[in-house]
Amino acid sequence: MNDAQADVRLAAVRKSFGSVVAVADVDLEIPRGTIFSLLGPSGCGKTTTLRLIAGFERPDAGEVYIRGQCVTPIPPYRRNFSMVFQSYALFPHLSVAENVAFGLRMRGMAREHRARAVSEALELVKLGALADRYPRQLSGGQQQRVALARAIVIKPAVLLLDEPLGALDKMLREEMQIELRNLQQRLGITAVFVTHDQEEALTLSDRVAVMRNGVIEQTGAPREMYDRPRNEFVAGFLGASNFIDGTIVARDGGTAIVETPAGRLSLLASAGIGERVRIAIRPERLRMEPAAAAGLPARIRDIVYRGPVTHFYLDSAGGPLLSYQQNAGASWSVGDEVRCAWDAESAVVLDGVQT
Amino acid sequence: MKTAWAAVLLAPPLAMTLLFFVAPVLYLFWVSLHEPSQSELYGAALTLQNYATVLGDSFYLGIIRRTLGVAAVILALSLLIGYPVAYFVALQPPRRRMLVLLMLIFPLMVSNVVRAYGWVALLGRRGVVNTGLHSVGIIDAPLDLLYNTPAVVTGLMTILLPYMVISIANALAALDRRYEEAAQALGAGPVRTFLHVTLPLSTPGVASGTLLVLLLTLSAYVTITLLGGPRSKLLVSMIYDGVTAFQWPHAAALAFILLALALALTALILALLRPGRVQGSGR
Amino acid sequence: MNRALVAGRALRGTATGVAFTLIVAPILIVVVAAFSPNDYFEFPPPSLSARWFVEFFRLENMRSAFALSVELALLAATVSTVLGTLGALFLARRRGTVAVLLQSLFLAPLVFPTIILGVALLLMYKTIGMPVFPGLLLAHCVVGMPYGFRTVLGSAQALDPALEEAGHSLGAGPLRTLLLLTLPLIWPGVLSGWLFAFIVSFGELNTALFLTGPGLTTLPIEIFSYLQFQGSQLVIAAASTLQIALIVILVAAIERVVGIGRIIRTR
Repeated sequence: MNDAQADVRLAAVRKSFGSVVAVADVDLEIPRGTIFSLLGPSGCGKTTTLRLIAGFERPDAGEVYIRGQCVTPIPPYRRNFSMVFQSYALFPHLSVAENVAFGLRMRGMAREHRARAVSEALELVKLGALADRYPRQLSGGQQQRVALARAIVIKPAVLLLDEPLGALDKMLREEMQIELRNLQQRLGITAVFVTHDQEEALTLSDRVAVMRNGVIEQTGAPREMYDRPRNEFVAGFLGASNFIDGTIVARDGGTAIVETPAGRLSLLASAGIGERVRIAIRPERLRMEPAAAAGLPARIRDIVYRGPVTHFYLDSAGGPLLSYQQNAGASWSVGDEVRCAWDAESAVVLDGVQT
Repeated sequence: MKTAWAAVLLAPPLAMTLLFFVAPVLYLFWVSLHEPSQSELYGAALTLQNYATVLGDSFYLGIIRRTLGVAAVILALSLLIGYPVAYFVALQPPRRRMLVLLMLIFPLMVSNVVRAYGWVALLGRRGVVNTGLHSVGIIDAPLDLLYNTPAVVTGLMTILLPYMVISIANALAALDRRYEEAAQALGAGPVRTFLHVTLPLSTPGVASGTLLVLLLTLSAYVTITLLGGPRSKLLVSMIYDGVTAFQWPHAAALAFILLALALALTALILALLRPGRVQGSGR
Repeated sequence: MNRALVAGRALRGTATGVAFTLIVAPILIVVVAAFSPNDYFEFPPPSLSARWFVEFFRLENMRSAFALSVELALLAATVSTVLGTLGALFLARRRGTVAVLLQSLFLAPLVFPTIILGVALLLMYKTIGMPVFPGLLLAHCVVGMPYGFRTVLGSAQALDPALEEAGHSLGAGPLRTLLLLTLPLIWPGVLSGWLFAFIVSFGELNTALFLTGPGLTTLPIEIFSYLQFQGSQLVIAAASTLQIALIVILVAAIERVVGIGRIIRTR
C-alpha cells in the first residue's frame, strides 16, 4: 500500500510516559475511506496511539503521516483531522449551531456558507431542530451527535473517535453504531476509533488492530481476525475460545498431523515435527454429537441458557471446553456424554505458545 | 511553539514575583548583615551585630515577650469564640450559610484603619462606652480604656475573628456527615462525637485559621499603634520606628527576627495540630 | 444527652451573637458618626447631617487621597488580575514538584507579613531611585496577584481538559483557543479575582505606610495620619464611610453579574 492510498500511517512510533512504555515501535497503515478500530484492554496504548495521530502527544521516536505528509512536527491545530472526544467536549458557552460552525470559522469560511454547511451537518445527524439549543439542554445521545456533526462538517482527512459510544446505554449504543457506519460510508471519511468493546469493533470496522502493552498483536478485517486469531491473546480478546494443546507428529506439505488428547488432527500449520502447538476453536464451531459418533469425548458439566443460544460447559481429556448451540434441535442434560467435532478449517494454530 | 506560549504565560507573573517580592526581601536580609551608616543607607562591613544587639537587649526582649503574649491571647480568644461560631455557620442550610459568610467577609474588606478607628470611637474618653456608662451613672470620670495592651488585644482579635470563623466553618461544612453518624452508631453521644470525631477532623481548618490570625497579628502595625499608643508597642512598631529613623540595618534585623518568630510559631502550630494526618478521605 | 445538645446550641448561639456584635459594632459606630451634626462625636447623634461629607470633599488632601486610592486600586487590580490569570493558565494542567513550588510562590504574598515587604520595597526603591507612584503600584500588584491567581486557577481547573483539545482539533491555535474558548468560560473567576484585588488595594496599609510620600497618600494612610495627630476626627468618619460605601457598591455590582456563590466559594 503506498502513501496515496493510506490516509494515515505510523512508522516505528514509540511513546513513553516516564518509565511506562505506552506505544512500542508501532507500524500502522490506515487505508483511505475505511473505518479502522484500535481495540484492546485498558492501558494497552490504543488511546495514546490515537492521540499521536492527532498530535496531542509527540512521539519519542518514529513518524506520523497524514495523506502522505509527515505531520510529526506539526501541532494539532494545523493537522487535517477532527476528533470526537469521550466526554464530547462541546463548548458550553456556544449554541449547537455555533459549536458545529466552530471548525469552519477557524478555517475562515464565510458566514453564509457556514450556515448552510452547519444545517446540512445537523440534518445528517438528525438534529436539525436543535440548532439554537445549548449543550446543557441536550441529552447524552444528542450531545454525541452534535460532537459528530462538529467533527465531520469540516471534511477532515481523518476522523478520530475516542470511545465515542462509551457513555451511552446499550440500545442507544447499538443504534449509534449502525448510524456511525452508515454516515462514514456515505461521506467516505477515513475514521479511526478507539474502543475496549470487541463487539463494537467487530460491528463497526473495516479493519481492526488489537493492541496489548503498547504493541499491535494483529491487524486485519474483523472476520479474518475472528476466524484466524494469531495468538492466544487475540483469540481470547475477540470472543470466547476453546484451546487444545497437542504435538506435531508428522508433516505432509503445508499440512501437519497433530497428536492431541482428541486424537490425531490434520491442520494447516507451519511448525516442525516434535513442536507443541495450541489450537483454538470457537465455541460456535464446536459441534456436539451423540456418544455413538466419532470425536473428542466430553461430558456436560453445566448448561446456561442464553436466549438465542445455549452455552454448554464441557469437561474432556483435552481440558475444559465451551460450546454454543443454537436452540433448535437435540436437547441435552447435565452429565450427558457427548462427542465434540469440528470442521478442519475451524481449528486455528496459534503463534508463539510454549507449553 | 508550545514552549514559546508557555513562556508568555509564565514570564510576566514570575518576573513580577521575583523582582518585587523575592528580590527586595533578600536584599533586606543582605542589608541586615551590614553595619549602620550615617551618610549611606547602610555601611560597608558585614556583621551580625544588628541581631546580637536586639537579642541581647532586655528592652527588645521585653517587646518580643509582649508580642508573643498578645499573639497567644488573641489566638486563644479567637479560637474559643470562633469555633462555636464556625460550628453555627456550618450547620446552616447552604443558602443561608452563604449569606452569613458574606456578612463575615464584608468586614474584612473594610480597611483595618477604619475598623481600628471604630474601636477608638468605642473606647475613647469621649467614646460610646464611656459616654454610655456616664449617662447611666455608673462612672463619674471617663475610664482610660485605650492606649494599652488589652485594647490592642480586643480590637485586633475582633478584626481577625472572621478569618478564624471562615477557615473553620469551611472545614466543618466540608466534613462528611457520615463520620459523625458512624460514631453515633458505635455508641458515642454528642459530646464524645464532637471531641473524638468532629474536632480532630476539623484540624486543617483550625490550623489554617490559626496560622492566618497569627501572621496578621504580627504585622498589624496600624491597629497596634492606634489602639496601643506609644506605651504598648510591639515588635512591628519597632520596625517602623527603625525605618523612620533611617536605621536600615537595625530595622532589617528586626524584620527578620519577626519573620523568624513567625516561622517558628508556624512550625510549632503545625507540629501541635498535625493537620496532615487528617487530609484525605477514609474510604 | 439532650442537655448536651441544648447547651451546645446555646453556646453556639451566644458566641455568634457576641462575635457579630463585636465585629460589626465598630464599623456601625463609624458610619453613624459620619452623619453627626456637631463638632464632637456623641452617641446617639441628635440628628443626621451630611456636613462631614461636604467637608471631606472640600479638603484638598482628602480629595486627592481618595482619588489616588481609586486610581491605584483600578490599576493594581487590573495588572495583578492579568498577571494572576497568566500564572493560573500556566499552572492549571501542570503537575510535579516545580508546579507545586511555583504555585506556593504565587500564593506566598497572602501569608507573608506585608509590613516586611513594605520595608523591603522602600529600601530597594531608595537604592535604585524608583518614583513613588510606580513603586506603590508595583507593591499593590504583588499583594493583589494571589487573589486573581487563586480564583482563576479554580475556574481553569474546573474546565474539561478536552475542551482545549477540541478547539485544537478544529483548527484553533493557542491564542484563539484562549480568547474564544478558555476566557469566556473562566471570566467569573477573573472578575471575582479583580474585585478582591481592588478591595485589598483600596484598603491596604502595610506597604502604603512606607511607600507613600508627601502629596501622594492613599485614603487609608490619610485617615491614619489624621487619627495619629488627632486632627478633626469626624471628617475621618466621613472618609471611612465613603470607603465602606464604595466597597458595598462594588460587591453588589459584581454579585449581580457573578452571583454570591462565586464570591464566597472562590474565597
